[in-house]
Amino acid sequence: MDHAQFRLIIPSQTRYLNLVTGLAKRASLVAGLDEATAAKVSIAVDEAVTNVILHAYRGEGEHSVELELRFTEKALEVHIWHTGQGIHSDQLVLPDPKEYIKHPRKGGLGLLLMSRFMDEVQFRADAATGRNECCLIKKIS
Amino acid sequence: MADLSIAVRHIGDVVVILPAGFINAHTVREFEGALESQVQQGRYKILLNCKDLNYISSAGLGAIMGLIETVRDNDGDILLCELQENVFAIFDTLGFTQLYRVFSEEAQALAAVAPERKA
Repeated sequence: MDHAQFRLIIPSQTRYLNLVTGLAKRASLVAGLDEATAAKVSIAVDEAVTNVILHAYRGEGEHSVELELRFTEKALEVHIWHTGQGIHSDQLVLPDPKEYIKHPRKGGLGLLLMSRFMDEVQFRADAATGRNECCLIKKIS
Repeated sequence: MADLSIAVRHIGDVVVILPAGFINAHTVREFEGALESQVQQGRYKILLNCKDLNYISSAGLGAIMGLIETVRDNDGDILLCELQENVFAIFDTLGFTQLYRVFSEEAQALAAVAPERKA
């Protein structure tokens, strides 16, 4: 069976976050995930796209963020591409929630939410195209 | 419909803030401004009634985290009530339910801060 997939390209502006997270939630339901899980997927996608807009593109709104949703038999995959500053999975250090609570501060929680709410979070760079990718995978049980 | 609207009520010395809609990186400044405005006016007992809050991302959590020390240093607190399931999941997943008092009903939350009110 062919895997269904479709793409959405948005400007790198936070005003479109609600559009993207709404789409991610609906896609999760179509993939067969329940409401609670769909809400978690939408949060993870929000965090990933926000990271791209605010950090990879440093808040510059004239760039593009490309999302691809892939529906497979076993999972929903959300691929997010950009041409801003990339990060790699082996560079990530997730905050320890217990330490965070002892020493509260702004920021640092997005990656933690992504990793807790998704089954896999991967960061990759494509040297050939100069694009960076964040891939979020939620398995369908 | 706007992504976020915020209503504010005063009950005694407690300020009840009711965000409705979505708190994300786009709307967080509005939410943060509503919180900061109360703190700047010397109101440190803040109850966030989240019954109409559909969604909060880490940007919104950061806004709350950014004020909690100031509020508690002034004998106040930030309490939460009536969280929807997915909003509660976010707080709970990050261990924030240990940091903030969370209530199922607004009346319970108000009763919890009542003993702290000055006679």
